[in-house]
Amino acid sequence: MASLKELKERIESVISTRQVTSAMKMVSAAKLQKAQQLILKARPYSDELDLFLRSLASRNRRQLHPLLHEIDDKAAKNVGLIVVTADKGLCGAFNMNIIKKAEEYLHEHKDKKIDLICVGKKGFDYFRRLNMKIEASYVELFNKLEFEYSRDIMQLVTEKFVSRKYDEVLIVYNEFKSAIQQNIVLKQLLPIKELKEDKEDRYAAYLFEPSPEELLDELIRKDLDIQIWRVLLESSSAEQGARMAAMDAATDNADEMIKDLTLEYHHLRQSKITTEIIEVCSGAEGLQ
Amino acid sequence: MADSSRLIHLKIVTPKGIFLEDDVSELVAPGKDGDFGVQIGHTPFISSVRPGILKIYKNDKPELFSLMNGFVMVDIDKVRIFTEIIENPDDIDVNRAKRAKERAEKRLQEKKENTDLRRAEAALKRAVTRIQINEDGFH
Repeated sequence: MASLKELKERIESVISTRQVTSAMKMVSAAKLQKAQQLILKARPYSDELDLFLRSLASRNRRQLHPLLHEIDDKAAKNVGLIVVTADKGLCGAFNMNIIKKAEEYLHEHKDKKIDLICVGKKGFDYFRRLNMKIEASYVELFNKLEFEYSRDIMQLVTEKFVSRKYDEVLIVYNEFKSAIQQNIVLKQLLPIKELKEDKEDRYAAYLFEPSPEELLDELIRKDLDIQIWRVLLESSSAEQGARMAAMDAATDNADEMIKDLTLEYHHLRQSKITTEIIEVCSGAEGLQ
Repeated sequence: MADSSRLIHLKIVTPKGIFLEDDVSELVAPGKDGDFGVQIGHTPFISSVRPGILKIYKNDKPELFSLMNGFVMVDIDKVRIFTEIIENPDDIDVNRAKRAKERAEKRLQEKKENTDLRRAEAALKRAVTRIQINEDGFH
């Protein structure tokens, strides 16, 4: 059985851990809010771009653009898989869920040549430990998300796609559902899936400079940019949500532990006092 | 002061939100096929832009911004600019851009892994644009 001193030390250490977890919970809550604001702020930009893209794409024949060109799913031999995890842990199963999903995909598609592109330090570390070849990695970016990251990723995958090194580019990430719920999403980035046609065609009256074809090319890349940007924001929000939940549970556990340990401490102290009194009494009796 | 009926509504939208919204008398943007000016009543057109300077005239003195890329959508009474990166040249730290340029050049020479190369190239392009904008003496 632990001594009184040991118990006291343990209680103190749990109390200080509890302070850390409850502080982390609050920090995550603040970061979550920030990440969500960024999602809202991206909307006017991405909505307009989306409309414009659909309008231009419906007036061009889609076969014309290589990034819209779809090949038979089964014929896709070379795949670029973007794995989006967090840079940090302490967020429950957040990172492991993504890694598992990626491994599942690798396992199910052994006939394909799959290049890993790791976004986030946790996924990168994991696959590197397994000695797997990592085509590209972007780490330590979630602390200060910059749009330039998504552009770099976009440039990497579009180049490989246009030069036919990849037949398909997929991205796996955590989607933000609510503060306590994340969805694992595996979605196709390239080739771009069928675009919904813009029936109104709000851009019919405009002149274009340069030609619509050239604009389309640029627009498609920008659209991918913003798609990747949104994925990064989603993942970042989901990460903060997951960390909040994990830290909340940890704080609760610490509370429980402090309660139990304190009770144990009192028991031990009481029985020690009782023993001492008995000793004193029996000593006094012996003297009589 | 400019006549308020001759003003055109300008809105600059970035992935990080609305960068600027104002009524201006004229603006000059670095179009892909050359600079162009826009005032109220312009024919609706859409142009993509190259990295360069965006000039906004409100009073006599133009306000300058560095645009990296994007689109300008012109309507009769409003202009919308969609860009990923727009900066006030005063906010650009030229020394930092120069250091970034050197770093990127060094990384490009060393050629360690293809990952670093790609990012170095992109960083180099950005740094060069930022330096140019400040050194070309637009002030």
